[in-house]
Amino acid sequence: MDPEQINEFVVGYLKKKGFNSAAKDLESYHHHNNNGSSFTSTDYHNDPDLTKLIRSFSQQEDDPTRYREGYSNLRSWAYNSLDLYKHELLRVMYPVFIHCYMDLVGKGHTQEARGFFNSFRRDHEMVHLRDLQKLEGVLAPSHLEEMEFARSLRKSKVNIKISKYSYDLLIQYLQRTKSTLMLGIINEHINFQVYSGQPNSSSDDIEAVTIFGSFQDTANHINQKEIQWGLLEDSLEDRLEKTGGLLSDSEKGQGESKDGDADDSKKRSTEIGKQGSSLKKLKKDKVGNATAKVARLETITVPPAPRVKPELALPVMSTDVEQSILEDLRNRVQLSSVVMPSVSFYTFVNTHNGLNCSSISHDGSLVAGGFSDSSIKVWDMAKIGQAGSGVLQGENDTNDQIMGPNGRRSYTLLLGHSGPVYSATFSPPGDFVLSSSADTTIRLWSTKLNANLVCYKGHNYPVWDVQFSPFGHYFASCSHDRTARIWSMDRIQPLRIMAGHLSDVDCVQWHPNCNYIATGSSDKTVRLWDVQTGECVRIFIGHRSMVLSLAMSPDGRYMASGDEDGTIMMWDLLTARCITPLMGHNSCVWSLSYSGEGSLLASGSADCTVKLWDVTSSTKLTKAVEKNGNTNRLRSLRTFPTKSTPVHALRFSRRNLLFAAGALSKPAS
Amino acid sequence: MSIVPKETVEVIAQSIGITNLLPEAALMLAPDVEYRVREIMQEAIKCMRHSKRTTLTASDVDGALNLRNVEPIYGFASGGPFRFRKAIGHRDLFYTDDREVDFKDVIEAPLPKAPLDTEIVCHWLAIEGVQPAIPENAPLEVIRAPAENKIHEQKDGPPIDVRLPVKHVLSRELQLYFQKIAELAMSKSNPALFKEALVSLASDSGLHPLVPYFTNFIADEVSNGLKDFRLLFNLMHIVRSLLQNPHINIEPYLYQLMPSVVTCLVSRKLGNRFADNHWELRDFASNLVALICKRYGPVYITLQSRLTRTLVNALLDPKKALTQHYGAIRGLAALGHNVVRLLILSNLEPYLSLLEPELDAEKQKNQMKNYEAWCVYGALLRAAGLCIHDRLKIFPPLPSPSPSFLRKGKGKIINTDPHKRKLSIDSSENQSPQKRLITMDGPDGVQSQDQSGSAPMQVDNPVENDNPPQNSIQPSSSEQASDANESESRNGKVKESGRSRAITMKAILDQIWKDDLDSGRLLVKLHELYGDRVLPFIPSTEMSVFL
Repeated sequence: MDPEQINEFVVGYLKKKGFNSAAKDLESYHHHNNNGSSFTSTDYHNDPDLTKLIRSFSQQEDDPTRYREGYSNLRSWAYNSLDLYKHELLRVMYPVFIHCYMDLVGKGHTQEARGFFNSFRRDHEMVHLRDLQKLEGVLAPSHLEEMEFARSLRKSKVNIKISKYSYDLLIQYLQRTKSTLMLGIINEHINFQVYSGQPNSSSDDIEAVTIFGSFQDTANHINQKEIQWGLLEDSLEDRLEKTGGLLSDSEKGQGESKDGDADDSKKRSTEIGKQGSSLKKLKKDKVGNATAKVARLETITVPPAPRVKPELALPVMSTDVEQSILEDLRNRVQLSSVVMPSVSFYTFVNTHNGLNCSSISHDGSLVAGGFSDSSIKVWDMAKIGQAGSGVLQGENDTNDQIMGPNGRRSYTLLLGHSGPVYSATFSPPGDFVLSSSADTTIRLWSTKLNANLVCYKGHNYPVWDVQFSPFGHYFASCSHDRTARIWSMDRIQPLRIMAGHLSDVDCVQWHPNCNYIATGSSDKTVRLWDVQTGECVRIFIGHRSMVLSLAMSPDGRYMASGDEDGTIMMWDLLTARCITPLMGHNSCVWSLSYSGEGSLLASGSADCTVKLWDVTSSTKLTKAVEKNGNTNRLRSLRTFPTKSTPVHALRFSRRNLLFAAGALSKPAS
Repeated sequence: MSIVPKETVEVIAQSIGITNLLPEAALMLAPDVEYRVREIMQEAIKCMRHSKRTTLTASDVDGALNLRNVEPIYGFASGGPFRFRKAIGHRDLFYTDDREVDFKDVIEAPLPKAPLDTEIVCHWLAIEGVQPAIPENAPLEVIRAPAENKIHEQKDGPPIDVRLPVKHVLSRELQLYFQKIAELAMSKSNPALFKEALVSLASDSGLHPLVPYFTNFIADEVSNGLKDFRLLFNLMHIVRSLLQNPHINIEPYLYQLMPSVVTCLVSRKLGNRFADNHWELRDFASNLVALICKRYGPVYITLQSRLTRTLVNALLDPKKALTQHYGAIRGLAALGHNVVRLLILSNLEPYLSLLEPELDAEKQKNQMKNYEAWCVYGALLRAAGLCIHDRLKIFPPLPSPSPSFLRKGKGKIINTDPHKRKLSIDSSENQSPQKRLITMDGPDGVQSQDQSGSAPMQVDNPVENDNPPQNSIQPSSSEQASDANESESRNGKVKESGRSRAITMKAILDQIWKDDLDSGRLLVKLHELYGDRVLPFIPSTEMSVFL
């Protein structure tokens, strides 16, 4: 090859890349060299590989078809690779794919970008459908800048775990075929975490699915933080056990500790070996003593939660309320996979598609509905029950009384919002209702006075969700403005603003110890925030679509989140890992609720079912799963189909009766 | 390129009055239009999700536009989904069906009905994990076939019975068998054959599939054929046979059977001829009732209580016919002595006073009525008598077997007597038995208690005779006995036995009186009401004590 030609290529390349001064320097340098002696530049000019490479840079740099070629070659290679390594290599394809696409868009090749996208999108639709739908709309370089999702993708690197051999295979292939473009993309956007040994089985590649945490590193960093997930010390449950109000409870406590001892001793026995027999005998004796309790023990094997101090000044509970709660706790039905709860269903009829949200008070006696016509309606179910019997008796005079001061209505109408009401929540004793609306305000209502007390302004966009803290007084809200806020009833300004989500914050939930709140967002993550400091302490990555509902287990260790696709994920707050995804619903999970002792999880969905999940088995079994490799660890216990009524709200009462609410919707005809 | 063609942009530009749009500008705008539309849709979907819906509406789009600070598009918030029409002549060209509305029509149209107000309906979705099959819950078929779903929803006003029809095949043989039995019961012409049929019904296995048909048949025929005495009797026989059949579990059908049986017991009129012995039928039915209660009472807790309530209501209603009273009494008597004691004896006095005028042949001229009254009286007497008999029987057995044997023999003798007697009230018997007992205690205390068996009894004879207080009692019983048979020797024997028993029983009776004074009182009361007629029911031994 002619050295002159090569020089031209180099200069052309530099110019194309915008290094004009460098190109000028080179040109002048060459001129200078030509004028003088031309002996210097031969060593690299004579290397044929290098010249080829240089030529490829200059010639094809701008050619949009190169992306398609490179990608389809890489794709067919990956699909033809060894089965053992295939899934790891295929994992690389998706980031390459979207970055190829965005490169094309960024360079203005809209037409080619669309063609490229459409020809390969099918490969990734199964796992990344929603991302693809978003990206599909990106058609101009300006959109890449504007769209948060695209921007975050461009900025960050994707972490991919890959085995050593797969990595070598990939690099070898890329170098052999000289597909520098693909190599460039992979280098630029993928961060390989190479590990030695055999590749992982493809079943547990949850992280492979969610590689799009643009903040994977920060997430990992954040998740290192310590959290106190235990329950509050001196909680009512504690007091209940102390006073011995429930004798069997204290028995259970003993049984648990015994059981724990026994387990420990078992471990030791396997280690020590010889002494094992005597210990086993001991254990047998214990078991013999505890046979009567065995059934109960099985349901509760989690050691009692540690106690933590409240970080907030909590409101003082009146003794009457406390007594009634204690009474409820004493009378609580112990639920398990064998003992199922009763479900009382409140059906809203004649809502004319206007019911946006519903909420049930802690004792199930009050039901509130928020409507798209800005109204809130509160029903007192106790009164409605009386009304029903009154009608049965055929007493006309009583009817008027029951209808109450509102004339003919069976509910209390609360008017004040100026936009659709998106959420309502009852304070624990049921004396207040909070509602949030598209008019960006949160309003506090008294159920006794049937009047609006306070209007909290602070959010700049519709407030999607509002939740009272488990002890009342404080509440949390979240909004389209991508923040969650903590408020107290007596201040009209928020106490804390939690910012960090990359998209709308769609739901919020308090931790039972009041020190944390969890938020679910349209960015497909769930975050846990420290209420006192306002910092994000956990990021849970794994959902594939917007998170719609959250629930915290009563012991504070676990969290469940439900998304738009119908997937429910169980998270361990301590490790920020998904314990198990609960699959079963095929539409939005609107509501989740843990039973009082945390053994069951109820989920209500837009597919018109209420499902009960055995939580103890899914948390317990993780250990077993590691041993057996058995993936069938989740247990759906029961499915209750409703009569074309999507389930909007669920609540376990303190006595473990499950209340559910939903609006009867006529199927579209 | 973009899914929005540049022609669209050009058309829209023209429609809003921009005529000099460069083709390049249209080309540049098209992708941006697509992006903006997608953006709005994304926000609209968020609004939809937060409204807990799965169908996107115009209001969601308005909400999304609001979020972006864009003026909403007015006029589309109709609520319902848009209807698209196919453009004629084009295969995939659609337009929204947007009718022109005349204001005049709108203004003159009558006001639409006010929409129904929102309400809450509460029901059990599940009870302890099991879904009850109530109309509020999704019926089972809905789960299987969603297509049927819609049919149910559209008429959610009236409750729909979701019980599924049960299909089962009845074999030809069974059908014939049922027809034959039914014919026999109806025809009444061949009693011998019918008897055979009843035996078959009571013993054959494999009849269980027919039970619902039989119960249905019986219920139907009883309600229709109240005038046909023979038929009713046949039906009751069938009931009894079904109850007797060990291969049949009749329990689930009792609810259907009981009303028929009770009807045969307490109906005002059974049969239409004078000759029909409806008393017999009532007796028969009462036995059936007792049988059912005995067997299924423990399973159906409410069975007996409901039955007794029905019967007592029939008995205590003075407007009801005497025949009904008779049936009620027989039914209650059949239910056992406790029922009689609680329900009949407590009401005995007022009832008898009510019955009194009917009994009197002079006051009640209607012979039939008079006869009925006597029947009722007899039934009452029998019930009360059996009750008191039972009452006394539950006393602990006497120490020696032979006296009891003796007594039984005597009892029989006495039993036969009073039947022949006419009403004659023995004045002496109006005395309180307790008093007598006290008087008896005196002499008895002298005697040793371990005197028992037949031998001592013989020995006792002379001692007894020396007892003046005992003698003072004796006449009453002996008088009564002699009245009947005028046999001195027998009378003596009675005396003898009574005395001997009195002596040996003393200790036991002491105890019994302590325990159960009220049975004594009861006896007295009964005696006051019935006079001697109650006596046959009292075992001779006890009787002599009381008397």
